[in-house]
Amino acid sequence: MTTILECRELTKVYGKVVAVNNVSLGIDRGETKVIFGPSGSGKSTLLRCLGLLEKPTKGTILFNGTDVYASRQDLNKLRARIGFVFQDPSLFRHLTAIGNVMLGLKHVLGLSDNEARRKAYEALKLVRMEDWANYYPSQLSGGQQQRVGIARAIAMDPEVVLFDEPTAALDVELKWEVITVMKDLAERGTTMLVATHELRFAREVADEMIFMDQGQIIEIGSPDHFFTSPNTERAKKFMAKILG
Amino acid sequence: MTPLEQIIFLLKAVPITLAISFLSFLLGLGLGILFAFMRIYGSTPLRYFSDSYEKFFRSVPVLAVMLLLYFGVGPYIQIFKDPFFTSVISLGIVSGANQSQIFRSAIGSVGRSQMLAAISLGLTELKAMRYVILPQALFLAVPGLGSEIALLIKDSAYSFIIGVIELMKHTDILRASQRSLVLPYIASAIIYVAMTFPLATYLDKWGSRKKKELGL
Repeated sequence: MTTILECRELTKVYGKVVAVNNVSLGIDRGETKVIFGPSGSGKSTLLRCLGLLEKPTKGTILFNGTDVYASRQDLNKLRARIGFVFQDPSLFRHLTAIGNVMLGLKHVLGLSDNEARRKAYEALKLVRMEDWANYYPSQLSGGQQQRVGIARAIAMDPEVVLFDEPTAALDVELKWEVITVMKDLAERGTTMLVATHELRFAREVADEMIFMDQGQIIEIGSPDHFFTSPNTERAKKFMAKILG
Repeated sequence: MTPLEQIIFLLKAVPITLAISFLSFLLGLGLGILFAFMRIYGSTPLRYFSDSYEKFFRSVPVLAVMLLLYFGVGPYIQIFKDPFFTSVISLGIVSGANQSQIFRSAIGSVGRSQMLAAISLGLTELKAMRYVILPQALFLAVPGLGSEIALLIKDSAYSFIIGVIELMKHTDILRASQRSLVLPYIASAIIYVAMTFPLATYLDKWGSRKKKELGL
C-alpha cells in the first residue's frame, strides 16, 4: 500500500496550550481511517495540520513520501490534492452550490467554464445535490450545505479527503444524509481520514480507528477492537459514554 | 431671472458636482479596499501605515486637505494647479480613509472561515481575496458606501472655494446677482437632498436585502 499522507512526531502548540503532542500516523491509498475522542482532544488541529492549513510547531508532514515543509513545495498546489471538509460547511455565500464547486476547478485547476461546470455537476450528482445546483447556501439545509461542501472537495479529484467532524453541527436526520454520502465515497475507494463521533459510521466503513485524548494518540485498532475490548481505560470510558 | 430660470441655472451645475463626487468616490474605493486589505492581511509596517493613514485623514477636515494641495502643492505639481482634479483627489484621499474603515468592518464580517475554506481548495491568498472575500465584503459594504457617496456629494461643495464651477458656486453667483440671501440656498439644498437621499436610501435597502438573501 502507498502511504499518501503521513505525519511524524507532529506537535502543535498555541501559546501555552499543547493542542497536538508528538503524534505520528499515516493514511494509505484507498483507506478510511476514523479519528475519535472527546472535544478538545486535538482532532481538528491534527487534521488542519495534515490539510496544510496550519503549520506544525514540531514534526514533519509527508505527502507521497516527500517532506512538505522541508522540500519547500508549493503549498497551494499540495492543498488542491488534499480535500478538506469542515465542520461548518463554510460554503461561499455569494455563490450558488454549483458556483462553490466550480471555483476551485476554474481558479486552481484552470479548467474552462464549461469543463468546470460539467465536473461540478458530476460531483453534485455524487452527493445527490444536482437538483439544488443553482441554489444559494442560505436556501439549503445544514445537511445539504455539508453535501455541497463534500462535492466541492471531491470535485478537485484529491488524493485524500480529510473530514473534520462534518456532522457535528447537524441534527439526527440531516446527519444521516451526510453519513450516507460519506459511506458511498468510502465504498468507491476514496482515501479518507475522518474525525467524527459517529461510531456507527466508523464501525461500518473504517479500516482503522484512532482514539485521541489530550492531544495524543491513546489507542489504535480496528472497529471491532474498540467495540469489543479497548485496551485503555480512557478509550473504554469514552466508548461507554458515546454508546450509552 | 425668473424662478424657473434660476432653477435651470442651478441644475446646469449638477453634472460637475456629480462628476467630482463619483470620481472621488472611485478613487476612495480603490484606496479604501487597498488600505483595508493592508490593515488586515499586511505585514506589520503595512498595517501601521494603513492605520496611520486612516486615523490621520479621518481627523483632518477635507477643506484643509483641499487648500493644502491647491495652494501648497499646486505651484510645484501640475495636476494640483487644476481645481477640479485637486477637488477629486482631496475628496478621494479623505474618502479612502472612511472607505477603508467600511471595508475593514465588511471583510471582518465575512469571517476567517471563508478564507480558510478558499485556501483549502488550493487558492492563493490573493485569489481567495479576489474571488471569495471581496465579493462578499462588497455586498456587506454597500449600505456604508451609500452613506459615503452622500457625504461626498455634500463635501463636493467645498470645491467652490478653490474655484470649481459646481452647484455651490452657481448658488453663490445667484445669491450675488439676484440679491436674495435665502432662496438660492433653499433651492440648492433641495437639489442636494434630491441627489443624496434617494441614492443612499436605495443602496441601504438593496444592501440589506442582499445581505438577508445571501445569509451574510
